[in-house]
Order: sequence, then structure tokens, then C-alpha cells
Amino acid sequence: MKEFDYYKPLTLKEATALYDRYGASSKLLLGGTDLVVLMSDGVVNPDVVIDLKGIEELKRLELKDGFLHIGARTTFSELIESSVVKEKFPIIWEASRFIASVGIRNKATLVGNICSAVPSADSAPALLVRDAVVVAASEEGNREIPISEFFVGPRKTVLKKGEIVTEIKVPEIKNKFGGSYIKLGRYSGEDLAQVGVATLAVEGNKYSVAFCAVAPVPVRATEVEEFLKGKEITDELLNEAKPIALKAISPISDVRASKEYRMRMSGVVFARSMKTSVLRLEGNGPEYGDRLV
Amino acid sequence: MKREINFTLNGDPVSIEVRPNEKLLDVLRDHLGVKSPKHGCGRGECGACSVLLNGKSIRSCITLAVEVDGQEIVTLEGLEKNGLTDLQKSFLKHNAFQCGFCAPGFTISATELLNNNPHPDENEIREAISGNLCRCTGYKNIVGAILDVAKKK
Amino acid sequence: MKKLKYVGKNAVRIDGLAKITGAAEYTDDIEFGPKLLFVGVLESPYAHALIKNIDTSEAEKVPGVRAVISGKDFPEKFGLYLKDNSIFPIDRVRYVGEQVAAVIATTQEIADNAVKLIKVDYEPLPVLQSPLDAIKPDAVLIHPDLGSYEVVPWLYPQPGTNIAHVRKIRKGNVDKAFKEADFVLEDWYHVPHVVHAPLETHISVSLFTLDGRLTMWNSTQSPHTQRNIIAHSLKIPHKDVRVIASFVGGGFGGKAGINMEVIGAVAAMKVPGHPVKVRWTRKQEFENTSQRQELYAHIKMGVKKDGTITALEHKLYWDVGASAEYGSNVVNATGFSATGPYRIPNVSIDSYAIYTNRPPCGAYRGFGYSEFHFGLESHIDRMAKMLKMDPVEFRKKNAISRKDKVAYGVEMNPTGIQECIDKVAEAIEWGKEDKSPDPNKIRAKGFASAWKAPAMPPNESSAAFIKFSEDGSINILVSGMELGQGFMTAMAKIAAEELSLPLEKIRVELPDTDRNPYEWQTVASHVTWSCGNAVRRAAIDARNQILETVSRAYHIDKSNLYLEDGQVKSYTDSEFKLPFENFVINGIEMPDGTYRGGPIMGKGMFMPEFSSAKVNPETGQGGHPNVHYTTGAGAVEIEIDKETGRIKVLKAAEAFDAGKAINPDLVKDQIVGGFVQGLGTALWEEVKFDKNGRILNPNFTDYKIPTALDVPPVMIPIIVEVPQPDGPFGARGIAEHTMIPVMPAVANAVENALGVRIKSVPLTPEKILNALKEKEEK
Repeated sequence: MKEFDYYKPLTLKEATALYDRYGASSKLLLGGTDLVVLMSDGVVNPDVVIDLKGIEELKRLELKDGFLHIGARTTFSELIESSVVKEKFPIIWEASRFIASVGIRNKATLVGNICSAVPSADSAPALLVRDAVVVAASEEGNREIPISEFFVGPRKTVLKKGEIVTEIKVPEIKNKFGGSYIKLGRYSGEDLAQVGVATLAVEGNKYSVAFCAVAPVPVRATEVEEFLKGKEITDELLNEAKPIALKAISPISDVRASKEYRMRMSGVVFARSMKTSVLRLEGNGPEYGDRLV
Repeated sequence: MKREINFTLNGDPVSIEVRPNEKLLDVLRDHLGVKSPKHGCGRGECGACSVLLNGKSIRSCITLAVEVDGQEIVTLEGLEKNGLTDLQKSFLKHNAFQCGFCAPGFTISATELLNNNPHPDENEIREAISGNLCRCTGYKNIVGAILDVAKKK
Repeated sequence: MKKLKYVGKNAVRIDGLAKITGAAEYTDDIEFGPKLLFVGVLESPYAHALIKNIDTSEAEKVPGVRAVISGKDFPEKFGLYLKDNSIFPIDRVRYVGEQVAAVIATTQEIADNAVKLIKVDYEPLPVLQSPLDAIKPDAVLIHPDLGSYEVVPWLYPQPGTNIAHVRKIRKGNVDKAFKEADFVLEDWYHVPHVVHAPLETHISVSLFTLDGRLTMWNSTQSPHTQRNIIAHSLKIPHKDVRVIASFVGGGFGGKAGINMEVIGAVAAMKVPGHPVKVRWTRKQEFENTSQRQELYAHIKMGVKKDGTITALEHKLYWDVGASAEYGSNVVNATGFSATGPYRIPNVSIDSYAIYTNRPPCGAYRGFGYSEFHFGLESHIDRMAKMLKMDPVEFRKKNAISRKDKVAYGVEMNPTGIQECIDKVAEAIEWGKEDKSPDPNKIRAKGFASAWKAPAMPPNESSAAFIKFSEDGSINILVSGMELGQGFMTAMAKIAAEELSLPLEKIRVELPDTDRNPYEWQTVASHVTWSCGNAVRRAAIDARNQILETVSRAYHIDKSNLYLEDGQVKSYTDSEFKLPFENFVINGIEMPDGTYRGGPIMGKGMFMPEFSSAKVNPETGQGGHPNVHYTTGAGAVEIEIDKETGRIKVLKAAEAFDAGKAINPDLVKDQIVGGFVQGLGTALWEEVKFDKNGRILNPNFTDYKIPTALDVPPVMIPIIVEVPQPDGPFGARGIAEHTMIPVMPAVANAVENALGVRIKSVPLTPEKILNALKEKEEK
């Protein structure tokens, strides 16, 4: 690993000033489960690392004013341990459980996962179907970005120079709902998703669908949401919906799966997730966190 | 540039100068003589380097040493400071390990699990140790040994 | 036979406490002090290229760099059976990741950074990645000097081709038998490269001192063999090379023979007085240690209507990678045994070791038997289907028995294969259908038999010393290696039995070639048998010395004395009890104040004197290449998700004939662990290469080995015991065998579930879905 200067600011103000000063030659450090691997491999070689773990105001996880505020320092383990997240944001809870393994989840953060912006980011589909908002701070002030506009390419986001994501805001849903995140990997142990699908069913037959690992960025499948809107979910309807859902994605072949397999599995997992969400909405689905593949 | 970090290691205060690009695993093994965390993959994928950071298991091979300034680190050496733990006794009785290289990492993960959840079921045990790879045993005796402790407590 | 007190009883493994407390020291845990230097290795970016020039001048200028070495410094070749491997290549590189040069420096970081400054001019050559291409007459030669390499007399390299060795078996008349058969089936099967993936990567620390002494601390299965190869290649007297083996963090054959350790040895010779460490990263472990051979197998089998197998033609095309120094013996061993555990009167086998531009291949738990059993045991199931016969019945009908001759004409050893098959069938509830409650899922069972012999030179040997101490405890000095398989516990029990000494009084020491006596290698599942015999003889020797001493001192006839619980006792005088600690070092005091006896030191050795590699190269007949076979069987129950194609193994059972299980618990642990390693190769594991020969998945991100969530919830290990006449207490090895049935058992279960036959592993969801699609389209 190349040598670098290490800063651990104690306030956000200090952090934004540092990040503004060092720009592209610096990297922000949260859990480090992605960044330290990239630095060890020599893929990323910053001159400056700014560790955000000293900033108290980023250590936030609370439901306030109709939003769940997930501060940048919040780890996946903390999300899993939170009863608020489990009860009111169960898709985020479920997705968190399927990320890597305990030893990674204890350090990795949701904000870090989103900012790494890999196509297979497990937390992204859950945030997409819950209409999350990314809050970024910089010397210029704060900015709110809908999660659906946040990703622009593999490992690329809309963040501008000097912007630090301070938290993710997820709106509460007042109506009854059910949701699910299904991750298809090569096996049940720690793996990256070959296909990840989150769905949300809200009473009154409103649905949301999002994918990861099957497009350059995690995507929301809005066309199929429109198609399903107002309809009761049946096997027949899902068969009709599948090709519409798949229009949102454009998988590639790589060492983890072929394009064809990803395409086919996206349909299978979409249908399975949707059925699960509806069952959960009705109160008789499998428990959140159960393995459905 | 080197900087001094201070942290608690297995209950004792430690003060040491490190470069920011040094990993916790290397500092523990090469500078502090703590050898139970092992080099397995260097990418946080095998669990052999697991240590407890403020009571939570982390991968010391993808943690910078500077990150633990002011924190508390416990390794296998710390767990057994006052003699064998019930978990270790159970591992011994069950012949839980073969080559033994992964044993310290599994002990860290299982200790964390039992601290948070003294009576896990088999499925919870498997989930909790699924980030620790073992190539020898097929996990049967490791799971059996943890289950034994979970039932007794 | 005398009632056994230690052998055959369960016990906590004697290395258990060291391992659960972290006291077990692995090579990287040893402190070497401030003079320690580190090695960075320049690896070839090309799979096949000529080396035109190597310029190390910039790297040499870096502060902290002590030396830079390459082929011009150390042009020697090395190898276990065929000396085709280079310490550093001279004129050409043969695979991506091959070591081209090395930097020795004060820190790993300096060494790795300096490596980047070495400039090499390459001229790329055509890359061969398939043995089926490499065997073609016009293929570019990977070893143009093949004819000049040193080789053991029982391997047959074919200069002017890419064939490093071919083993042929001819028995009976296959052509005639195929004509007379009622059914004949032929097909191809494929098994890709996989890796051992021990949790501890390869590591070696070497120290050369100006008195001419080379000391190495290696993570190895083969301390004496490493000493022999190093001494021979570098022309250092054997007495001056010392290999010290710490605990090994997983071997599985990958740490057999010698590998990257040669780099450490020559690096140390450049910087006398400094210990030098070479530690492979996980990526290097994938790219530059031995892998398991890839196999393309063509099988043609003929049967009679009554279910008798009459003929087998088995052609095995092995990709041994860029070096066959060890892998050639895998090819040889499987050539002798590719009938599987069956009585077949007419046999033709051709087993080819073929060079390609992939990493060198070598020993891997199972030594080639897993690979050929995949095709063979798949084929057996298919033949049974043609015959409309139950596949378990078909196996039982044709299973080899004591009096049958194996393919090279020697009588089969005593075997419990029928009992293994029966017990596995019973455990898996063969014939009983089980339905999944989930309509998307389908359940089925699959079965396979297996056999394997140790693959060894005919004159392999083991030796042991037993040293008594003042308190009557013993240290057993052997050079067999505790790899996790329970070797130490087995040796302790064998000595315990002969000396009637409790296990708490016994230590088994890790190898040090200076101090511990000779052992060929800890490979081939042979140390319980071979080293066990040596330890048993050493214990008997020590016992005789004890009895002799007591007899002389007390004037009791030796035949009236016996050992019990650490004491010498007398059959004729029940009052006579002499604890070992009273005399095993200091002797027995006589009435006149003089002493009889002195330190008790047992020694024993074992070499199978009936084994011979001298066979007719065209027929494989005339020798006795294998000492014995261990047989067994395995079965699985699987559940397939028809939508995703994912396979889950719900239940597994395996039985092996251990002859005599020295420690039944540890034998069962081998069965479970081996099954799971086999499961990895059946379902997930495969080294993937790009078109230039670069590995695409050299990490656990994309090379998936089983986790605690991926193993069957129920695994039933079964021990069968038909004694091996020349084994210690009847024991023979089983550790490798446990992997062998898994790939075909799962593939057979897939066919039983879906009616489709998949002829390549791993059985990925994608292959399952494609096969289902193909079936629907038919």
C-alpha cells in the first residue's frame, strides 16, 4: 500500500474543508472494507485519507420528522440491531443481513456501500424502492439527492468535488406494506450478488421494484411498477410483468454469471420477491431475513 | 509520516508509532508479538485475521492500525488470559479443528456470537461463522462445539 | 488377538490444546529478529513467451535492496520425478505468474516496489490452454528440451511432443470384448482445474551461513523430500541442509514436494547470515503453486445383459500445466487404477500427461482419482440405466474382491467394498423416495463407489525414534507431518498400545531433518500405514530394551514380563511392578551399587519390500506398482430448485474401509471434511482463465470454497474395518479417498432428479438450467 497522510477530523466542517482542499488526491474512509482492499491492491492510491469516524454528528440512526436518518458512520450491524429499522424499514434490515458476513458488517457502513457505487451494492435496491434521499455536505452547503439519481456508472456517483455524504434519509411509509430483498449469489455463504431484487408492495396495490448487479448501476424498474399499479398480484400477472421488469436491466457476462443467466434469474427472483412482499403485506409471508433462494 | 497511536490490547494499554498505511494485522503480529490472528487472504474474505474491536469482530487485514487509536482490541490471547474459556474447552472436546490455522478466527466470531446471544440455534451459529473459512473440517464439529456451549449456558 | 486399549478408542487429539489456544506455531509465527530480509517476486505477465533480456539495474539501486536474482544466477532445474521445473526460467516463461526474478530487501514493501523496476523483454509465443490442443502434432513445444531432463526410470517423456508421460495398461482383449458385449456406451467427461486453498498460504524462511549450512523453516508436507531436492539441485551435502517444519495450516497435497521454497533457498544463498522470508499472497497461491490437473476423459464400456462389465477403454488426457515434475506421477498412478474398484477382464488405459501454459499441477487430495472417478462413476450409473438395473446392485455385482486381479495383474488386497456399499445405501435410505414440500423443488439421491492406492515410488520409506525421559514419558521423533488429519494422535496411539503407556505421557514431535529420522513425505494417505509401521516397530524395539534391562537386573525370564500402564509387570509374580520412571534413563540399581540398563531409545523403520515399478511400458504388466487399495462408497440426497438451478445437498453418507481405525473419531472427521472439500469441487470450484492464460478468480471473492452455510445439515461418516495384513493393527489410509465419490454422486443424483446427464463439473445452476432447457426442446 502506498504511503499517505491520514487525517481524522472531529467535525464535519473540518472534514469538508480538508476534502475541499485535497479533492481527487484524497479518499474518505468509513468502514474501509472496500477502500483498504482497493488501496492494498494498488487500484486506488490516494495521497490523503480522511477518516470520518471521529465525527460525532455522523453517528446517527434515528426516526425523526417522518424520516429514518442513517448517518454516514452507521454500520450494517447497527442497522440489523436497530428495532426501528427492523419494524419500519424491514427491507433495509433484510438487505443488511445479506451483506457479506458479520466481520464485514461490523465495520462496513451503508453510506460507504452506496458511495462505492458498485453495480452489485446490496443496500441500493432497498433504498431505491423506499425512495431514499442522499444528503451531501460541502463547503458550499448541503444538497439532497434522490437515490434514483445518485448512481451514474460503475463506481461513479453524482457527487461533486468536495461533497461528503453525511446521511441517507428514508421516508416512513404510513400505510400497510410488505417488502423483500432477495440476493442470488453463487451460494449461501458470503458472496457478491449475481442478481439482487428488492420489491415493495403498499396497500392499495402500489408496487416498487429495483435491481442490483444486472446493470451498470442499481436501477429502479419504473415501467413494471406502472404496469402492476392497481392490480392484484397473481402468477399470471407476474408472468406478464417479467419481460417489462427486465426492460430496466442490461446485465453483462463476467466471472460470476453469464448475461443470459442473470437475465433469466432476474425474472425468477423478481417474481419470488414480489410474491413474498405481497404475502408479507398480507401478514402471512416468510419472516424477514429468511433465505428465499 | 509515522504517528503515535494508543489503544487497549487484551486489557493492557499500548502505545506505538505506526505509518498510516500499516494494517492492524501486521502491527499486531510484527510489532506487538500477537500471533493468533493469521494472514489468510489479505482481502477480508476468510476470517483468519479476526479480532474484536470494541467487542465486535472485524478483519484486521483490511483495517488500518491508525483506525484503532483510542479503541479496544481483543485477540485470542486476551480471551484466554484467565484460563481456557468454556468455548475453548468445547472446541477441544469436539476435536473442532484439524490444521488449526483458522481456529483463532473462529474463536473470535463464536465468542462475539455467544456474548450477544448466549443461546443461538444451529442456524444462527452457521450464519455467525459463515464469514470464517475452514478448508479441513466441513464445519460439523465447530458448529457442534458452539452448540454445546449454547445449550449449557 | 490381544484386546486393544488405545487403538480403536476415541480420544481428544493430542495437538488439540495447542491449536485451540493459539500455541500452535505456524511458520509465519516464528520470530527471526532484525536481520530478517524479505523477497519480492517478479511474475510473468505472459503465459508463453521467450525471455529476450532481463535488466535488474534500476531495482538494484533502490535503498534497502540487498540483491536481485534471476535465472542467470541460478540456472538449475529441479523436480520430484521429472526435473523439468526451473528455479527461475532462463529462456522462456511458460505460465502467467511464473517467477522471473526476485528482489531481496529489508522490507516486503521495498522488495515489492523494487520488483516493479525490473525490465524484461519478452517475445510472446502461442499459448496452449487445452491438453487436447497441446497433444496435436503441430502444437508449439512448451519444453523443447524435454529429452534432456533427468527423470525416474518408470516415467516415459516423449521428446518432440508436449507429452511428459504416458501410462498404458493392456489386459485381455478389449476389441473382442466390445464386439461380444450386449451394451456399449462411450462418452467424454471433463473436470477443470481447482486449487487446494489451504487457509495458510505457502511460506518459507531460509538462512544460509558461511559455514555452508542452509536451514529452512517451511510450511511443508515433505521436509526430507525438500531437503533431498534442494541438496541435489544446489549441490549442497544433504547433512548441511536442514528443513524444520512447523505446524502446517492446511496442505491437501499442495505443500507436497517442493514449490516456491526453492526461491527462498537460493535467495538465502545470496545474502549469507540473513534469514530470508518468502510468503505467498493469496493471489500467488492461486497463480504459482500447484493446482489440480484438468482432465478430459473418454470412456467406453461394454457390459453383458446380466450386468457383468466385460470391457473398459479409458483414455485420460491430463493437463499438467507448465511442469510435470510431480503431476506426471498423478497421471501414472491413475493410469494403473482407472478401472475403479471393479472386476473387469478386458482393459485398455492410456493416461497422458500433457503440458500446457497453465500453472504447474501436482498432488491434490485424491491424486487424480477424484477426477477419473467423476467420469467412471457417472458412466457406471448410465450403464446401469441401459441395463435397467439398480445402480447400487450393478456396483455390487461388479465390485472387486480379494481374489480378483487388478488391471496390472496383481491380486487385490482384502477389501470391505461390499460392506461399504451396503452401509452407505442403508444410511442414505437408497430406494426410498423423498418429496420436497416446495413444488419448485425436486429431490433425488445419487451414489458412487471409489478406490485409491497410495501413489509412491516402490522404495518409499518411513522411520521413527522413540526417546524415553526420566519420568517415563516419551517423545516420538518422526518426520511424518501433522496436517490436521490426526497423524500425531495416530502415532501416539500406536506407541501407546505397544508400550502400554497412557496418551498423556506421549508427545509426537514436528519434523526437523537434523533430528528426526527419515520420512519420504506425508502424502498418498500412507503415513498411518507406513510411518505407523515404523512407530510400531520403534515401540516394540523400546519394549524389548525395557524387558531386556529388567530381565537382566532381576533375573526374570523376558517371556514372563509384560508392560501395563507404564509399568513392567510379571506373569508369575503379581507383586512385581516396576514403573518406567524408575529405570528408563538411569537404569536399575543392583545390590552392589552398580546399575544395569541406560536410556531406552527405540528405533523402527518400514519399507514395502514387495513393491516394484518395473513394468512393461506397453502393457503395464509385470510389476507391483501399488501397495494396496482402500475402497469405499458415498451417496447424497440433493434438492434442486427448478427455477434457479441451484443444488442443495440435504444429506450425505460415506463409508470407507480403514482396515482398522486407529482413532475412529478422527477417521470420521476426515470423512466429513473430505466430503465437504469434494462438495466444493462438485458445485462451485473452478479456476477460470482468460484467453491469454491469466486466472480470472485468484481470490475468495470469485473462487468459492464451502462455508458453514453451504454444507449438508446431515453428514453420516461410516467406518468399515477389513484389516490390511501389513498395516499397523490392520490400518490403511482413508484421508484422500473421502473426496472421491462426491462429484459423481452429485451428478448421478442430478440425473435421477431431472433425467439429464451433466458431464462436466462444477454442476453450476447455469448448467442445470441449460440441461433442462435442452431436455424440454427435445
